[in-house]
Amino acid sequence: MFNLTKKLLIMLNIIFLFSVQILSAGGEVTISHYFSGELGKANFMKGVKKFEASSGIKMKDSPVGHEDFKTDILVRAAGKNLPDVFSYWAGARVQFIVDSNSLLPIDDMWNSSGLDRVVAKSVANSATMYNGNRYLVPLNYHYSGMFYNKSVFRDAGISKMPNNWDEFLSLCAKLKSKGITPIALGSKNRWPAQFWFDYLILRTVGPDYRHKLMTGKAAYDDYAVKHAMSIWKDLVDKGYFTNNSNADTWTDASDKVARGKAGMTLMGTWITGYWNGMDLKPGVDYDFFPFPIMSTGIPNAVVGPVDGLVVSANAKNPSGAKKFLSFMMSNPDVQAQWTDGQGALSANTKVDPTKYNSVMQRALRTVANAEVYAFNYDLATPPPVAEVGLSMFTEFMDNPADYVSILSNAQRNASREFKN
Amino acid sequence: MKNKIYWRVLFLSPPLFVFSVFVLFPLLNSFYYSFTDWNGFNFDYNFIGFENYTRIASDNLFQNAIINTIIWLLSAIIIPTILGLWLALLIDSKVRGTNIFKSIFYLPICLSAVVVGQIWIWIYQQEWGLLNTVINFLSENNFEYAWLAKPETSLYSVIISWSWQQTAISMIIYLAGLTSIPKNLLEASQIEGANIFQQTIYIVVPLLIPATIIVIALSMINSLKGFDILYIMTEGGPFHSSDTLAMHMYNESFRKYRMGYGSAISVVLFIIAVAIIGIYFKQLRKLEEIYD
Repeated sequence: MFNLTKKLLIMLNIIFLFSVQILSAGGEVTISHYFSGELGKANFMKGVKKFEASSGIKMKDSPVGHEDFKTDILVRAAGKNLPDVFSYWAGARVQFIVDSNSLLPIDDMWNSSGLDRVVAKSVANSATMYNGNRYLVPLNYHYSGMFYNKSVFRDAGISKMPNNWDEFLSLCAKLKSKGITPIALGSKNRWPAQFWFDYLILRTVGPDYRHKLMTGKAAYDDYAVKHAMSIWKDLVDKGYFTNNSNADTWTDASDKVARGKAGMTLMGTWITGYWNGMDLKPGVDYDFFPFPIMSTGIPNAVVGPVDGLVVSANAKNPSGAKKFLSFMMSNPDVQAQWTDGQGALSANTKVDPTKYNSVMQRALRTVANAEVYAFNYDLATPPPVAEVGLSMFTEFMDNPADYVSILSNAQRNASREFKN
Repeated sequence: MKNKIYWRVLFLSPPLFVFSVFVLFPLLNSFYYSFTDWNGFNFDYNFIGFENYTRIASDNLFQNAIINTIIWLLSAIIIPTILGLWLALLIDSKVRGTNIFKSIFYLPICLSAVVVGQIWIWIYQQEWGLLNTVINFLSENNFEYAWLAKPETSLYSVIISWSWQQTAISMIIYLAGLTSIPKNLLEASQIEGANIFQQTIYIVVPLLIPATIIVIALSMINSLKGFDILYIMTEGGPFHSSDTLAMHMYNESFRKYRMGYGSAISVVLFIIAVAIIGIYFKQLRKLEEIYD
């Protein structure tokens, strides 16, 4: 009798433990993301905690460094071990994994959460739809502009920001004459140079042509691209860029501007988070102006990346994952908290703009007034082609005089990558 | 007899299991994927036969990586071997403070490749790096050369950093080898009128051949593995000027999402490594026969 009771108790215990495991697995969502910086991680985790408290779903979080994430997520995909939710860069990179059948469409959640009324239209149209379905919620977006040191400009007698290319060239000449290198660029990691290429193409031939170039329907050795690169070359030849830009990272370039060794740098709004961390005051120590207009009659485009959250096609807890995406996107308080101090803009239109600092408020207005929001180069063209272009930019910065042969070579490699 | 086999299986199974899971299985997997167009995400890949291998033949970045790998391998074997021998002879000559020098020269081997890479990034820094500061001090110029950012010097700059660390291993092995040289042989040669140079060339260096064999084998194996320091210092750049085969494989697999093609490159790298090590050990056996 005793033995029977004992056996029964053990069996009940095992059943209980199994049930707890099954229940906890059902109520858990795994997530991996690249928001691993001190501020980004802290802000993101605040949102995660709020979601856990309100939903009762446990989030199993594994943040990875921004650059390491690119490798890490691929290793996990190769091992069929993708987390339920992961962060990713909207544009060609998400398109690539959608085409690989690795993501779950989220149209049902998008519609039931009414995200059409929440997400800014320009961002929703460009960042969330792939092959006719929604796959991504835009957690935040950035804008790339010309960020400058206010005291350097003031000391050089510059009070009016340039609206067109001639005014920009005069501004550079003025800074140069005062012994200040006008533009800092840190292209060691290649991507910071892409904004120059993006804007020069967008401002001289427009977004339609750029789209063709990014999708392989136009060529890098076209006259339009050569012309844009020749303008870039003129700036380098005039000594407007800092020396050996391929030796500097984007933070080195930002430091040069902050220390007054250079006047400005073309960078994303994340630079404001970096500078704020150095105790520089937005609107007092630094500010920005949009990349100048170069030709009339061309739609005004702005450039930047969108950080999004996506759900893996093989997610163990798809409904929990979608609930998390909905919560992080539609809750204005969570969105405001997430973007706070990071130099990121929320795509949630309900977020109170006054929560941003003065520089970010202007960035928000600049994006809102633009006709086109374009992804920066490495998010606009397929990853293998982006590799070709990114290397091309650094080669150009090393030897701008050879830009024609550099472009011919890039076209050969790009057309090969588009074919494969 | 049966009992003996039982114990062999028992004791060998844990390392064999680990070896199979972490070496053999990935190795065979790479062979398998090298015949596919797998992109890392999509498991609906196609078998494309030898297409990845024929692509290698026309890939100019692969050819660039092969040349860089040869330069890397030769330099990573020759420089640490010669410098290690020289330092060992210097320390063995009983100068004052031998132990301090020994510790200083041995220190780099205690550091990881990431730390070594970061130290040398600072040394090569264009504006305030140690190297340019010394050059400017000696030449009274404003020299701001970006050693790691120029295609002409990037690979060689990394090779110097790598050699700095690897020389320490060679030095220690040579120092151990020097202790086995009979002192009476050196004394006899001295009585016969041999100077230090002649002693080194005709006695010390030939008797250090066993140590040299180990030094070369270690340098070769370490240099074939040398990916981390390149990744930290240049990421294969600027514009592929310091790409080795390992770096090229990484670029194709993880940056371009071409796992199939990356696997084919890794197979070629594996064959090269096996061939080099095979040839080396074959020569080694011949040498052993001569010594026997």
